[in-house]
Amino acid sequence: MAGLRSVDEDPLRTGRPRGSSSGRSKRVPIAPYLYLALPVLVYGTFSLWPTLQLLLLSLNDWDGLGPQRFIGIQNFVELLGDDVFWEALTHNLLWMVGAALFPVGIGLLLASLLARSATFGRTALRTVYFLPQVLATVAVAVIWGWIYDPTFGAVNTMLTMVGLRGLAMPWLGDQTTALPALFITWTWVQYGFSMVVLLAGMNAIDEVFYDAAKVDGAGRWHQFRHITIPFLSGPLATVVLVTAIGAFQLFDLVFVMTRGGPGTSTQVLDIYMLENAIRYSRVGYGAAIAVALSAMVWFFSILYLRARGTFRAER
Amino acid sequence: MTTTVERTGRRRRTALRAFGRTGVTLLGVAISVLLAAPIFWVIVTSLKDATGIAADPLGLPTNLVVANYERAWHAGHFDRYFMNSLLVVVPSVTGVLGLSLLSGFAFALWSFPGKRLLFGLFLLGLTLPLGVLVIPLFYQMKALGLLDSLWALILPQVSILLPFGTLMMRAFIQDLASEIFDAARIDGCTSVQLLRLVVVPLVRPALLSLMVLSFMWTWNQFLLPVVLTQSEGSRTLPLGLNLFKGRYGTDLPLLMAGATITFLPVVLVYLALQRHFIKGISAGALK
Repeated sequence: MAGLRSVDEDPLRTGRPRGSSSGRSKRVPIAPYLYLALPVLVYGTFSLWPTLQLLLLSLNDWDGLGPQRFIGIQNFVELLGDDVFWEALTHNLLWMVGAALFPVGIGLLLASLLARSATFGRTALRTVYFLPQVLATVAVAVIWGWIYDPTFGAVNTMLTMVGLRGLAMPWLGDQTTALPALFITWTWVQYGFSMVVLLAGMNAIDEVFYDAAKVDGAGRWHQFRHITIPFLSGPLATVVLVTAIGAFQLFDLVFVMTRGGPGTSTQVLDIYMLENAIRYSRVGYGAAIAVALSAMVWFFSILYLRARGTFRAER
Repeated sequence: MTTTVERTGRRRRTALRAFGRTGVTLLGVAISVLLAAPIFWVIVTSLKDATGIAADPLGLPTNLVVANYERAWHAGHFDRYFMNSLLVVVPSVTGVLGLSLLSGFAFALWSFPGKRLLFGLFLLGLTLPLGVLVIPLFYQMKALGLLDSLWALILPQVSILLPFGTLMMRAFIQDLASEIFDAARIDGCTSVQLLRLVVVPLVRPALLSLMVLSFMWTWNQFLLPVVLTQSEGSRTLPLGLNLFKGRYGTDLPLLMAGATITFLPVVLVYLALQRHFIKGISAGALK
C-alpha cells in the first residue's frame, strides 16, 4: 500500500483536460471507475460475496437444504473440542515447518548450483528442474501413487533389487509412513518455485561484490554466507512465507492420494472442512473450519505482504 | 582460529576449482535425471501392456502399445474431458487477461477517491484460500442455476486469478517510462487509445507471462470441479483422471496414459515458452 504513487501532477492521469488544472475545484475522474467496473463486478460476485457468505454461514447451523438457524459462535466452541480438527491442524502445522525447510532448502541448493554451472546448458537444466511444478496435482498423485505402489511400485521394486525386500511396504497404506510419503511428493513439486525465485534474486546481485570478496581472499562458502544470503533475505522471506501459506491450503494431493487416511493419519483442514460441509451436510461447521483456516492464512499473508514491501523499499 | 578457517577455505577453494564449472554442470545433469525420472517412467509405462509391467516393472517396453491411449481417449471419456478443459481454459484465460489489464491500467494511471479501498480489496484477494471459498460458491452457483455447468468453473477461476493479474499488470504499467505517457498526452491521446496503442504493445511480455501462468493454473484446477461439477458433461481433465484412477486403478499402463494426456498439453506449452513461465513466477513473487 505504501508503494502507491501519487500521480496528481499528471493531467492525463487525473483525467483532467490540459489547462483546466488551474481551476480550484479538483474534478473527480470518471475513467478509472469505468475501467474498474467489470473487474470489480466479477471479483466482487465470485470472491468477496462468497467470503461474506462464509462468515455468515459459520455462525449458523445449516444442513444445506432447510432453513438456517443462527447459533452464534457455537460452531467455533465445538471446534475447540474436536479431536479430528486438532489432528488436521497439527498435520498442517507440521507440514508448514517442513515446507519452510525442505522445498526452500532444495530450491536454494539448486539455485546456487545453477548460478555456478556453465552458462551453456543452464537454461536446459532450469527447465528440467522446474518441470514437476507445471504438472497437474492429480497427475502428480497418479505418478507417485505408482511409485509407492506396494506391488509394482518403483520404491519397492528398487528395494527388492538391492536385496532389501524386508523394507518394502505399502507406503501410503500405513499410518506411520503415509504423511511423510505425501510430504516427499509435495516437496518434489514445490522446490521449483523457491528455486526460480531465489535464482532471480541471485542474478540481481552485482558481480562487483563477489569480485571484491575474491580479491580479499574469501572462499566460496564465505561469499555465499556473507554476500549471497544477506542479499537474498527478501526473496528468502518471500519463498518461505508463500510455501508456508501453501501448506495450509493443501488439498489436491492428499485428496487424490489418501483422502485423509488411513484412519485420520493424513487428515488436513481443507479436506476435513469439505467433508463436513458437503458429505456430512454440516455446512455451518465446515464454514467455521474455513474461517479458522483463513485466519491462519491471513496471519502469514500479512507477514508476507510486509516482507514484500520491505524488499521493495530495500531496492 | 582465523587462520585455520582461512586455510580450510583455501583448500576447499582449490578443490572446487579442480572440480570446476564442468563438474558442477555434470552434477546438475545427474540431479536433473533423478528429478525428471518419474515423468520419464510414466510415459514409458503408458506404452507398455499389463504383462510387460508384471514381468519387469521398471524395464523399457519391448513393444510399444499405443492402444492404452486409444482406450483412455474413447472408453475412458478423455475426449470429453479434454474438450471441457479447453472450453474452460480459453474463456478463463481471456477473461483474466482482459480484466487484469483493465484494472491494472486503472490502478497504475489514476488516483481517485476510493482507490486505496479498492486496491486493498484486490490485495485481500491474494490471501483468500480457494478451499475456503468453494463452500459458499457451491450454494451460490446452485442459487444461480449454474451448478454443474462450465460457467461454474470459469467465473470463479477468473475471479481468483484477478488479484494476481491486477497486481502484475499494475506493476508493469507503472514501470513504463513516464515520458511515454507525456508524449501520449501531448498528442491528445484518449485513455482508450493510450491503453490500446501504447500500453498493450509495451506490456506484451508481461501479458504473455500472465497468459501462460493462467493457462497452467486453470488447466490444472482440481478443487473447483471437484465441488462444483456433478456429471460427466462438465468434468475437466484433472477430475476425469481422478475418476479414471478409481475405475482403472489396477491397470497401470492405462492409468499412466490418462495421466500423460492430462499433463502433456501444459508440459508442451511450458517447454515452448518456459522463459515466460519463469519470468511470470519470479515477477509475481518479487515485483
